[in-house]
Amino acid sequence: MSAREDEIRRLVAELDAHIAEVEARVAALKALVADGDIQAEEEDPS
Amino acid sequence: MTDVTSQTLRLLRESKGWDVPRMARELRNAARDTGEDIAAHHGLVKMIPQWERGNRVPRERYRLLYLKIFQDMADRVSSGMAFGTELALRLAEVHSRAASLPGPGQVRALEAAALARPGKTMTPAEIRALAAESIASLHEVAGKLAKLSALLGDDEVGEVGS
Repeated sequence: MSAREDEIRRLVAELDAHIAEVEARVAALKALVADGDIQAEEEDPS
Repeated sequence: MTDVTSQTLRLLRESKGWDVPRMARELRNAARDTGEDIAAHHGLVKMIPQWERGNRVPRERYRLLYLKIFQDMADRVSSGMAFGTELALRLAEVHSRAASLPGPGQVRALEAAALARPGKTMTPAEIRALAAESIASLHEVAGKLAKLSALLGDDEVGEVGS
C-alpha cells in the first residue's frame, strides 16, 4: 500500500468520525426540537 | 463487497435518489444484462431493506450486481488511481454522507427552533453549545474534505451540507 493511499485511508477514517459527530449532534438537536414540539402540544392541546 | 457496511448499501442507493422499488428494478436490469437469475421484484423489495439494516447479508450474486450498478461511482471516485473497490466505495460513502449533512445555516435554524421550544432535557446554554459543536465539526469535515480533495487531485470532493 502506498503512502498516498495510507494518507487517504487515514483521512477517510477521520472524516468518518467527524461526520458521525455532526450526525449525532444534529440528531440530538432534532430530538430536542421534536421534544419541544411534543411538550408544547401537551401544554396547549388546542 | 465484504467490507462495505449495510449502511453503505443504503447510502449508495440514496446517493442516486432511488427508493427501494427503484433499487430492485436496477438490480433486475443489471441481472438481465448479465443473464443472472435473481429474485422477483417483490422479493427484492423485501430483501433490500433487510440488507440495508444489516439483518441479512446479500449473497455474492447480489453483491456483484451492486458493484456493477455502482461501478461508475467507484470509478469516478478512484479516478484512475489504483485503489481497490473497497476504498473507492468508502470514498463514495463519505462523499454521500458529507453531502447529506446540514449546512451551518440549517444547524442555526435547528438551534433557534430548539431554543424557541425548550424541553426539559437541555438548558439554552447546552443547546447553544451543541449547535456550536455541530458547526465546529462541520468545519472539521470541510477541512478534511479539502485535504482529501487535494490528495485526490480533484475538485469535486468538497461538498458539505448541500
